[in-house]
Amino acid sequence: MSDDKTVVQSSVAEGGKDGGRPGRRAPLIIATAAIVAAIGVTAAVGLGSPAGDTPGAASPAVAEVSGGSDNTKAATVLDRPFAKPDLVLTDTKGRTFDLREQTKGKPTLLYFGYTHCPDVCPLTMSNIAIARKQLPQADQDKLQVVFVTTDPERDTAAELGKWLPAAGDPSFTGLTGDFSVIQAGARSIGIGIDPPKKEKDGSVVSMHGAQVIAFSPTTDQGYVLYGEDTTADQYAADLPKLIKGENP
Amino acid sequence: MNRRTTVLSAAVALAAALALTGCGSGSDEPRLTVNGAFMPQPVNDMAGGFLTISNSGAEADKLTSVTSGISDDVQIHEVKDQKMQKVASFDVPANGELKLERGGNHLMFMNLKKQPKQGEKVTVELHFEKAGVLKVDLPVEAPNHNPKQH
Repeated sequence: MSDDKTVVQSSVAEGGKDGGRPGRRAPLIIATAAIVAAIGVTAAVGLGSPAGDTPGAASPAVAEVSGGSDNTKAATVLDRPFAKPDLVLTDTKGRTFDLREQTKGKPTLLYFGYTHCPDVCPLTMSNIAIARKQLPQADQDKLQVVFVTTDPERDTAAELGKWLPAAGDPSFTGLTGDFSVIQAGARSIGIGIDPPKKEKDGSVVSMHGAQVIAFSPTTDQGYVLYGEDTTADQYAADLPKLIKGENP
Repeated sequence: MNRRTTVLSAAVALAAALALTGCGSGSDEPRLTVNGAFMPQPVNDMAGGFLTISNSGAEADKLTSVTSGISDDVQIHEVKDQKMQKVASFDVPANGELKLERGGNHLMFMNLKKQPKQGEKVTVELHFEKAGVLKVDLPVEAPNHNPKQH
């Protein structure tokens, strides 16, 4: 597994990791392409102009990334970080939660999923919970793990409040709200989610996001992506760096 | 006495003959084995199930349904682009395998009658179009168990 990580990181490093150095800005496109290739992606990469004047802000639908079975297993450091989505939703206790406001200056992991998901959503939450427990208490307190539902009709605050502590950890924040708001927030960081669709037999087909995104405590930008194959050990290895806003 | 022996041996011979046809002396029947089965300890009233079905026969088969005492509604789900959808069957190719693994296609147990815990076993019956029924025990593993990673 660590081999995969090395491969991905080195392909990123070729053009991107040292992007701060003068004269190395040009390889940005190459680096992005490398990341995209590395994650085994169907990508519509909007490399055109960044949205507005906000540096590093994501243009809408920047990278439509869908995880295949052979996608990367660990960190992908983004060359162009995403602004934190402007999401104001409802937490598991029914209170208003302003993502930008309440996670400002804190290392944050953001994931979009749903509770009627037997596999990847609880797997992801469980892996992060296991990795978090290996941190010193002070770091555990800093780390914000935010789970935003992609199925708000079924995932009420109460439902999320039951599921999230069991799937992950009681310290995790679960958010629900209007689907269109959630979808727009996800899209702003390149996560495509479709609304839950009711089938003729009454079953509901929902979908989860393809990645976990880590936001830096120093810039509040989303700068690292994790695919669904990331293990608890891989999260555990990276978390101490993410907590400082460093590249894993 | 003698007659009795004859009848007995005839029965044995017949049974043996039946058994032979039963296991498919020809190579054109599906021959299925299951391995790597497990269920991650569920979080709520639903659970996933994962296993690999190998077919060493020269004929393909189909997994058409799954039954279990733990749920009256066990579905088979296909996963595409982060969405899972109920399907009617999964192909088990001739001389090939059907892999149900984390992040991909899986069994889905709805409305669990009880919450199985790590260390327990959940018995399921896999129903195939040709090979009939295979009974398999799924050991319940940690919620994040993923043999793909080892």
